[in-house]
Amino acid sequence: MAITNAFPFEMVRSELEEIVGADHITVGETDKLVYSTDWSWMPQMWLDRGERLPTPDYIVHPASPEEIAEVLEVANKYRIPVVPWGGGSGTQGGALPMFGGIILDTKRLNKIIEIDEKSLTVTAEAGINLAQLEWALNEKELTLPHYPASANCATLGGALAPRGTGTISTKYGKAEDMVLNMEVVLPTGRIIRTPPVPQHAAGPDFFRLFLGAEGTFGVITKATMQVDYIPEARLLRALLFDDLGKALEAGRLIMTRRLDPFVIRLYDPASTRSRVKKILGYEYDGAYMVIGFDGDPDIAALQEEKAMEIARELGARDLGREPGERWWRQRYDFYYPPQNLKLPWMYGTTETITTYDKIEPLYWAIKEAVEGNFAEWDIQWIGHFSHWFHWGVMLYSRFIIEAPPEDAEEALRLHNRVWNRAMTAVIENGGMINEHHGVGLKLARYMRRQYGEAWPFLQSLKDTIDPNGIMNPGKVGF
Amino acid sequence: MLQDVIATTENCRYCLMCRHVGPVELVTHREAHSPHGWALLVASVRRGLLEWNEETVGNLYTAPDGGNSRAWCVTSQPLPEALAAARAEVAQAGLAPQAAYKIQERVKQWRNPYREEAPQAVEGQGEHALFVGDAAVYLRPQTLAAARRLLAAAGVEPVLVGVGRNNAFFPSSLGFPETALAVARENLEELQQSRASRLFVLSPGDYFAFRQLYEERLDLPWPEKIRLQEVTVFLAGALEAGKLAFNRSEGMEQVAYVDPTHAVRVPIRHEAPRRLLQAVLPADAELVELFWRRERAHPAGNTALQFTRPEIAEKLTRARLNDAQDAGAEVVVCDDPETLVHLERYAGEYGLEVQGLYELLVECLQ
Repeated sequence: MAITNAFPFEMVRSELEEIVGADHITVGETDKLVYSTDWSWMPQMWLDRGERLPTPDYIVHPASPEEIAEVLEVANKYRIPVVPWGGGSGTQGGALPMFGGIILDTKRLNKIIEIDEKSLTVTAEAGINLAQLEWALNEKELTLPHYPASANCATLGGALAPRGTGTISTKYGKAEDMVLNMEVVLPTGRIIRTPPVPQHAAGPDFFRLFLGAEGTFGVITKATMQVDYIPEARLLRALLFDDLGKALEAGRLIMTRRLDPFVIRLYDPASTRSRVKKILGYEYDGAYMVIGFDGDPDIAALQEEKAMEIARELGARDLGREPGERWWRQRYDFYYPPQNLKLPWMYGTTETITTYDKIEPLYWAIKEAVEGNFAEWDIQWIGHFSHWFHWGVMLYSRFIIEAPPEDAEEALRLHNRVWNRAMTAVIENGGMINEHHGVGLKLARYMRRQYGEAWPFLQSLKDTIDPNGIMNPGKVGF
Repeated sequence: MLQDVIATTENCRYCLMCRHVGPVELVTHREAHSPHGWALLVASVRRGLLEWNEETVGNLYTAPDGGNSRAWCVTSQPLPEALAAARAEVAQAGLAPQAAYKIQERVKQWRNPYREEAPQAVEGQGEHALFVGDAAVYLRPQTLAAARRLLAAAGVEPVLVGVGRNNAFFPSSLGFPETALAVARENLEELQQSRASRLFVLSPGDYFAFRQLYEERLDLPWPEKIRLQEVTVFLAGALEAGKLAFNRSEGMEQVAYVDPTHAVRVPIRHEAPRRLLQAVLPADAELVELFWRRERAHPAGNTALQFTRPEIAEKLTRARLNDAQDAGAEVVVCDDPETLVHLERYAGEYGLEVQGLYELLVECLQ
């Protein structure tokens, strides 16, 4: 818990200052408040209603893995919680200092170590901002094809720790698919480096333990990522389907026939009516799909032609290039105020993933669970399908209540009830409770149900790796 | 104005979409020194979660007012303007940093923060005027002299206005809108007296002040019949039209142009100084680019931070020099007199030579 007595507070502070220097540790009330919330709705709502959140005791800005290791040794000695912090852009409360302690802000670890233009890799420290990393790569005509909406604010470590996904993952994969190796500071202070490449047969793939652990297994301090050439061509167009099921089938066929789109963004009819209209200015009834192919212009054009044949057979109306290109240009506009979802509204992203055989029933089950149980709140539920795989697809669904309770506690309870209904529907219908936002605090309580008999195994790993339980307590179910 | 502060800080407090271009957070690494940190601070004071005191006010005054957040906001949230207004409330309550009051008093009395000397009265009338401001008189007169020679070579002999008077940015940014308004009014009155139909300015900071700050923060609209133009943009046009010609300079190999503070606020200006520089560089010299350039250019230390948070101002200036060093530059060139002064303070430590663009152009004038 937070350190309330000045004596231990100053003792620990002195030790931390010796490690990182007095200029790199902050304990001011502004910093404590700013680091008490991330991008998730719960803490933001709490502050919005004038309520106080748990705050960190210290915000520490280390400059090297060695300094992090020393900080963790201090934390172990005094049993102080440590919460790794990248850009604070997580939506699940994964960076909240629930029990006070140390916020370990990694933003001083922001150097690019090497760009290998032969192997097409970049090695960078984990605190580097994704957009700044991308600009540096662009100077060499390269790109890290991980384009999340949080790219402007998230760090490289923040993309890896919760197993993040970007807009063009359908072709290029998730952040975890791009990483070759990492440097990690373990909770005990040991600094380890994973094998240089992941595709080997020299023992189990332990480095993936740190992907999705959200800082509970250690602090990612460096990573080597696969990068790509900036594609020569990007062909985008938009389609409209009368029937969501046929649109999903079109997406499935395009994926299972390996036509390799870099993006398929399929908005359900509710999302088409609301978000597409509001941000892009198009008024359509039906399911709006943006599809794109990139790379060699001739190959991309052929892939697009084949995909269009499939879509047309399933009743798609071709809206042409401009609606697709506009979506590409404005794809992040959805996140800027005042057009983003924002307080005092209540909202939550109950995103999930499953195989193609289950996706449509899952969609309807969550929709019914949310809309059917919270109709008195005039709840809206919208969704889009945006990360497609050979075997299945992610559903990015959101609920919105425009007039939630004003009382913070009542609002939080309602928020949790909506999530409970949604996540129960997810688990009962063969979905995962999350595809790319991570677990954090919000979904921690569902982890045992999600994992069943496998959960004690995960817990025992945690107990071994972090014997004092200092790393990001309360998150990911630990 | 209060409503603007509330609406903007409410919008920005939980938006992280401009973090990647924030200059201060990049040198201090603190969330509280990011646009969302400043907005959340103001919003939290409004909710009673924080109160204005030395620590919180100190954080409010770490915002550089350099325009990066707004320049990169898809919906152009006027956060710099909202923060200036929040500072005005703080200053009104007597809670601003002492350095801010000191500067405000100097500007109030002398119309500039640099020297205890009143501005010179405008002399004469003409079709063209040049806003001189304070930095070009008191800090780097050679820049002013060179700019005037270049304008003359292009056939322009402007009436000088605002000689020794701040462009009103400092008092506005520090939270003293009344002083800013008085200064701005005098600048506009002198412009009217000159009867000029075109006003030249020496920096994007001056351009921003006249074109945007006066209207948005001080409710003083720009007289639309008067054309406002940066000297570099005019000179680049004259070069293209064949009205100016330069010889190539000697002895420079790796040269970087440093976009001046506030450059992001004037997106139309980025090419002009580069075209001019290219015209005078030795044939075998290379114009290298900083990482933080053009539309994402970061400020040097010559915002109001130099008075209230000089240690952060210094870091910003050093970051520009580091950037130039990383780019392989041996010489850094800039047109804005005040940015030049700040670069010159530490350039030697980085093995860099600082060169004024106007001065370089004059040396090469045919």
